[in-house]
Amino acid sequence: MPVLQNIAAIAKGMSITFREMFQPTVVENYPDGPGPLKGAIFQERYRGVHVLQRDENGLEKCVACFLCAAACPSNCIYIEAAENTAEHRISGAERYAKVYNIDYNRCIFCGYCVEACPTDAITHGHGFEIASFNASDLIYRKEQMLAPMPAHMGANAVFNRDEVAAGAPSLPVQGS
Amino acid sequence: MADVNITVDGKKVTAPAGTLLIEACKSVGIEVPSFCYYPNLSLQGACRMCLVKVEKMPKLQTACTTVISEGMIAITDSDEVRQARKGMVELLLGNHPLDCPVCDAGGECELQDMTFSYGAAESKYMEPKNHKEEQQWSPVVYFDRPRCILCYRCVRVCGEGMDVWALGVQNRGVGSIIAPNKEDHLECEECGMCIDICPVGALTSGAYRYKTRPWEMNHVGTTCAHCADGCKTTLGVRRSETGMEIVRGDNRDKSGINGDFLCIKGRYAFDFANREDRFVQPLIRKDGQLAPSTWEEAFELIGKRFKEAREQHGGQAIGVVGSNRTTNEENYLLQKFARVVLQTNNIDHHRTADFPAFAAALRGKPESTASMRDVFNAPAILLIGNDPTEQHPLMAWQIRNNVRLHRAKLYVVNSRDIKLRRQATGFLRIPKGAEGRFAAFLNGDDSVAENLRPVAGTGADAGESRATTQTTPAGFRDQLRSEQNLIIIFGAEIRGGDIASVVKFGSGIAGAKFLYLADYANSRGAADMGLYPDLLPGYHPIADSGKFHQEWGGVPQTPGLTLPEMVDSARSGKLKALYVVGTNPVGRFDIDPFVFSQSFVVVQDMFLTETASLADVVLPAANAYEKSGTFTNTCGDLQLVKKAAEVSGSKSDFEMIVRIADAMGADVHKLVPFGRGTAADMGQSRGAQSGEADRHSVWLEAHGLEPKMSPFDPMAILDEIQRLVPGYEVSRMNLLAGNDQRTSLVGRASGAAQNPELIAPANDHLFSSGTLGRYSRTLNSVMENHDQQPAEF
Ligand code: SF4
Ligand code: SF4
Ligand code: SF4
Ligand code: SF4
Ligand code: SF4
Ligand code: FES
Repeated sequence: MPVLQNIAAIAKGMSITFREMFQPTVVENYPDGPGPLKGAIFQERYRGVHVLQRDENGLEKCVACFLCAAACPSNCIYIEAAENTAEHRISGAERYAKVYNIDYNRCIFCGYCVEACPTDAITHGHGFEIASFNASDLIYRKEQMLAPMPAHMGANAVFNRDEVAAGAPSLPVQGS
Repeated sequence: MADVNITVDGKKVTAPAGTLLIEACKSVGIEVPSFCYYPNLSLQGACRMCLVKVEKMPKLQTACTTVISEGMIAITDSDEVRQARKGMVELLLGNHPLDCPVCDAGGECELQDMTFSYGAAESKYMEPKNHKEEQQWSPVVYFDRPRCILCYRCVRVCGEGMDVWALGVQNRGVGSIIAPNKEDHLECEECGMCIDICPVGALTSGAYRYKTRPWEMNHVGTTCAHCADGCKTTLGVRRSETGMEIVRGDNRDKSGINGDFLCIKGRYAFDFANREDRFVQPLIRKDGQLAPSTWEEAFELIGKRFKEAREQHGGQAIGVVGSNRTTNEENYLLQKFARVVLQTNNIDHHRTADFPAFAAALRGKPESTASMRDVFNAPAILLIGNDPTEQHPLMAWQIRNNVRLHRAKLYVVNSRDIKLRRQATGFLRIPKGAEGRFAAFLNGDDSVAENLRPVAGTGADAGESRATTQTTPAGFRDQLRSEQNLIIIFGAEIRGGDIASVVKFGSGIAGAKFLYLADYANSRGAADMGLYPDLLPGYHPIADSGKFHQEWGGVPQTPGLTLPEMVDSARSGKLKALYVVGTNPVGRFDIDPFVFSQSFVVVQDMFLTETASLADVVLPAANAYEKSGTFTNTCGDLQLVKKAAEVSGSKSDFEMIVRIADAMGADVHKLVPFGRGTAADMGQSRGAQSGEADRHSVWLEAHGLEPKMSPFDPMAILDEIQRLVPGYEVSRMNLLAGNDQRTSLVGRASGAAQNPELIAPANDHLFSSGTLGRYSRTLNSVMENHDQQPAEF
């Protein structure tokens, strides 16, 4: 009987619909959710806007070795190096990045730069709200990506929601 | 020498007896790793990187010190050999810092390469590394001791190659350290050869340290802009706010006439280009002040005033002064512009040597000039006057290393105890200014022999010279006469008729060749291209009609004014306009600036020199590192000048000359034969930086097939130079591929000496270089460090 067969098929389909109706929702309530992330949920490994890290003394980890720029497939990292002096010490080694720009018009968030970095200076943060009507806003300068001073020297950097949940100050890193 | 047959890794190799195993391997493409071995330096056998297995020998042998012998069987790649190399790398890395990310050598470091090739990247040592602070040894030489792998290349190149011996080894064994000659700093020629030759980043250069990394730069091979020796240099350039900035000068391409060599100027003194007080827009004098203007306004004004001067007062009311630093194409174009458009033969330049007399003396012997490469291979060399160590560093290097490696005999005749006497077989000290007399004496005029005795109390200290015999002038001359294939090198002390004497003496010696030393990068080119009031390119007298007159049409046939005559003419108010391209006559010859108050003066330069400061219009010029063309060095080696850097707001002298001609209403097509050639490649391959497409365009260019679409293309005028100037018929293909080409000096000028009194040698020393030197911070800081007066010019 074709009619019975049709009813059975509909019942089967609707059973899935009704079952799923009572499951908890997986829709992210971004941007109306709670917390600094406005309801966005991240995987730990999410590759967002870069963060340039500091060491425990607050010095920049980047030593301007240009390896990230060399590794970058979209050629979007621009660096100008300068030498540290005793009076003006920026990084732990002989050299630091005077200028460090990433052009987010071109970055494909592949993470090669992070792989290449010998000092773990460049990392992917979770920042993703970078859309802009002006392409030149998308060229981020070092100051926009630099992690704040470590906690004992001021603030702490916030990289993921676990840290926020654990009570870290919820001051988001600018640009992330 | 007889050939020896050996077998390396199963390959048969035949090489002359006496060849080192490492070289024999290299000749068949088998690479044996090495640190301390360096071709043309003494053997060290210090690093043990080159260990190979030689059959019938109990232990591994160092390939760099093993001389091949008949039937030798060597194995360069086996487990044993690889293990040995790995062990050597591991030992070297034992106390080596993990500096690669900041080290200047990173990316072109031989130790990195070896670690990649042979392993040992993981260390068994757990002990903390022994750190020492970096030391500054001189304004340009820095030393980072922990990075040093003790290969002693620096010590040897400084001693053997440079004959400076400023670096040495202290302590022994693992405690050895490289040390400078003055305890904590260097006193040396600052050539940077030690930095260049260091396989790692232990010696670093003050100019380049921590600036960028090798792969971040474009590398452009061009010719040095300083002295007249014409070293090939590779400039590392990076983009900057104002265009392209030069960050490094070095010698990574060893194919040039200079081989391994560069002096301080080629290596560091490119910094004049980055000065912030450089002109970046045209200036026009308004109410007595030079005020910024636009290019259009400037060209319009110049065109109008030059045209007025020519139409109202004739060509003889206009003077043109050319430069020793502009390219051949620009010099040729400038004199053509003067003669064809300005209708004047009043064109001159700062003459640093008497090339017309040299050309005249060599009439009928076009092939008898020596090239820079010849100087390295000649069996005997006579050097009269000049001090190549100071004024011609590459020439000195060639002579020195020829003596060291080929046992050439060097004869030096000089009024001072120049440094090269240390290599001399014979050294004759003559009184100051007696070089001309010596030339006559060489030629058989014995009456002057008495006057060749050195002044009492200033005798040649034979102790420091290799000179075996206590030379008398007559004995000296006899010795010279017994030589063959002698190269006679002489400085600008010899001029006019004395050149003919030298050439005549040389003609009596089988295979003798001659070399005349001028100053500045393209002074030979300026002379060859006819920056003379009475000579056309190729030393063709202006009064003789010939192909230039036919081709150009309407060139005035009376000789024009020399530079001093132009000044006189300006003083009496007859010179209505003066066009100065890339030179500073007012400063150089101490001319009273008010002389030109009634002339309309146009200056093309980079800086506010004495001449530019009295100009009515100043046009900002590009320097030799910022344009393309060719240079002829003092030996007549023609080399390509390639555009490396760029500073926005400046234009090449070539373009400015063409634009002025255009503003005067001249037919630019007649001046620059552009638009010729077969339109074989209409730009499909343009834009490619390297690879197939680029080679394709080189080939087209070389065969004259490339369309010259722009009147600013120097290649268009090179066509005409090659067609019309005798001696410049070189292979375009080879030239464009970056090889040096020989031009010959075809003497056309009649024997009459050309005002030898107009010759003013630059007398630069190692750390000075005319106007460019004045504006180089590096050179000035080195001079300060050496307690020398910063250069006047
Ligand atoms: S994530 Fe990839 S594309 Fe973006 S900067 Fe890093 S290497 Fe370049
Ligand atoms: S010398 Fe070579 S191996 Fe040593 S730190 Fe420098 S780049 Fe690295
Ligand atoms: S710069 Fe030249 S002269 Fe000075 S120490 Fe180095 S190699 Fe010797
Ligand atoms: S400084 Fe450089 S060239 Fe000199 S011994 Fe050390 S590693 Fe070799
Ligand atoms: S020897 Fe002359 S051409 Fe060579 S680098 Fe020095 S200044 Fe330049
Ligand atoms: S290269 Fe042979 S021992 Fe150093």
